[in-house]
Amino acid sequence: MKVQPALPVIYDSTRRGSAVFEELREALNYHHLIWQLVRRDILARYKRSFLGVAWTMLNPLGMMLVWTIAFSQFFKSASLPSYPAYVLSGLLAWTFFSQTTTASMVNLIWGGGLLNRIYIPRVSFALAAQGTGMVNLSLSLVPLIVVMLLTGLPIHLSFIFIPVSVLVLCAFALGVGLLISTWAVYFPDISEMYQIILVAWMFLTPIMYPETVLPADYRVYITMLNPMYHMVKLFRIPTYYGRFPTWVEFLVPFMIALVTLVLGWVVFARKSDEFAYRI
Amino acid sequence: MQDSSSSSFQGQTIIQLENVSVEYRVPQEQIGTFKEYIIRLLEGKVKHRTFKALNDVSFNVNQGEVFGLIGQNGAGKSTLLKLVARVLRPTRGRVRVMGHVAPLLEVGAGFHPELTGRENVYLNGAMLGFSRDEMEEKIPRIIEFSELADFIDAPIRTYSSGMSARLGFALATDSQPDILIVDEILSVGDEAFQHKSYERIQSIKAQGASILLVSHSMSVIETNCQRAAWIHHGQLIALGDAKAVVAQYSGSVLENESERLSIQMNTVEGKLALTNNKSPYRWGNRKIEITHVHITDLAGKDQTIFNTGQSLRLHIDYEAHECISAPVFGVAIHRQDGIHITGPNTAQAGLTLPMIDGAGRIYYEIASLPLLEGLYSFSIAVVNKNENEIFDYHDRLYSFRIVNQENHTKERYGILTLNGRWELEVPQIIELK
Repeated sequence: MKVQPALPVIYDSTRRGSAVFEELREALNYHHLIWQLVRRDILARYKRSFLGVAWTMLNPLGMMLVWTIAFSQFFKSASLPSYPAYVLSGLLAWTFFSQTTTASMVNLIWGGGLLNRIYIPRVSFALAAQGTGMVNLSLSLVPLIVVMLLTGLPIHLSFIFIPVSVLVLCAFALGVGLLISTWAVYFPDISEMYQIILVAWMFLTPIMYPETVLPADYRVYITMLNPMYHMVKLFRIPTYYGRFPTWVEFLVPFMIALVTLVLGWVVFARKSDEFAYRI
Repeated sequence: MQDSSSSSFQGQTIIQLENVSVEYRVPQEQIGTFKEYIIRLLEGKVKHRTFKALNDVSFNVNQGEVFGLIGQNGAGKSTLLKLVARVLRPTRGRVRVMGHVAPLLEVGAGFHPELTGRENVYLNGAMLGFSRDEMEEKIPRIIEFSELADFIDAPIRTYSSGMSARLGFALATDSQPDILIVDEILSVGDEAFQHKSYERIQSIKAQGASILLVSHSMSVIETNCQRAAWIHHGQLIALGDAKAVVAQYSGSVLENESERLSIQMNTVEGKLALTNNKSPYRWGNRKIEITHVHITDLAGKDQTIFNTGQSLRLHIDYEAHECISAPVFGVAIHRQDGIHITGPNTAQAGLTLPMIDGAGRIYYEIASLPLLEGLYSFSIAVVNKNENEIFDYHDRLYSFRIVNQENHTKERYGILTLNGRWELEVPQIIELK
């Protein structure tokens, strides 16, 4: 009878490599935990609601409806074949980002009591947040397809590129999530502040408006310097635009995501030893 | 490996601490918000000081041993447990732990209220490193042990605190850990379940696990542990045989308290003077004033800690501000929890005091204290002949402690020993054929 978990059994505080790789190795050791945390998030979220998982699909649809009613008249002239599908595709990518980064932070603070009592890799919460986000995003692809078909947009083969777009987005969100979680451990008001930043950031990202409506003078700042512009676009290209991205369209967001992820991971892993007496 | 013990570390040192120090950098002032921090940072005013939670601590725990940790709150015991649970890393020194550590502290801390008991077991199992498949196999045993079969599929928010504690305990102890961390002895559920959990711990121990036990109860440490360590302000004060360490610790605690009680005595006067008429512990018209009280042994040496059976003398200095005829002095003894034990006075003792004026002193002497272990206090009062006018009343201002270190009596239940005597009337001896 196997009674003990299949984890390394000898622990020596002096024998360890860099915190950065240690955290990665432990995250792999604890993949069961990360999966259970995803399960918990999804189950807990829908446990008490009547429509259950349907909300994952209804939520972005509702949001899209609001935006469409509010703004479609403004942007009609712009060359957008299906405004609802345009908004929805952008909204899905944005929602993924804002939900997973917020959840990384909130879950780490929530799990603080646990981190004080039992060893679990501290990145578990941020990784689980990405997992939950991916499940939610996959589910909300259903309403996107429905809206595209209803508004006369064809579904192209380029849909198979979605997983790549999502992975890039996910790497970026994980990097940002880890950075803000680290700060939030030290300064609790970061989590409040971040909600405001998110709203501002969303309006500065072409989600419900096409980038062409921006005055040419500012357009370059809002598009080129805003990483989320590239992330949202990488998601929109295979869905709304129905084509594969060019190398530049892929490599720019990919590099941004990679750098952010490495930076976030290093900062988080280095500081994570202090978390146990900070939270 | 077919051994009577299931531990893979037979006879080894299982926890090893070598010159371990833990330091926290804490801001000198509490900086709560980011804005404040930025302002301070720009002003160059963020100052940190180092707080040593543990300072150069070394000891080993062997396989199969029950090891006790004692010390006051904040001494560093929890920090030590965190090191062993690998939640915290030492700033200096080395911590080596061989085997799986199962923490048994505030079990159920990771339960999610919306999920069912079963889902929570899977989640918490994963935190201990078990996959879902491994948990499938354990779950029937966990449900059975926790006695929650009827509730396991209900959300945790519907559980009582006792129920979730039971589930947490069953979960944490189902795997046979190499090291079990027990922070304060279990007070889980009802008496029957407590008994069951105690047995569970015994069986984990019997299978060769080491147990790290933290408790404020010295008797728990004495009866359960072979060895113990006493930690004070982050430093290892004593290490060795549990009984010896406990004795050393208790001795020091008494010493500190004696100091505290005598300080209290010395400041009472000042306190009384300050709070003159308004003190809730003093009243009366002060025609006769009790100016000073102290507790000594028969030789007149100040003492605040007594053994059962010892003698005690109470010195009461007074000053009569006018001529008073036949006043009555009295004392009362209360136990800390408010039980009034006795209240003798001079009139009841048949002593009629003369007319008094000016300063004087009166003694009250107890030849052999019948009180059992505990904290007690004296009240002192002086009233008129008819006991209907209070001149001065000091309510429970003078504390003393009774300990039982000299074995004057072996009695330990209740408040006092009556020096009663047992006698057996020998029955007819029945010869067995």
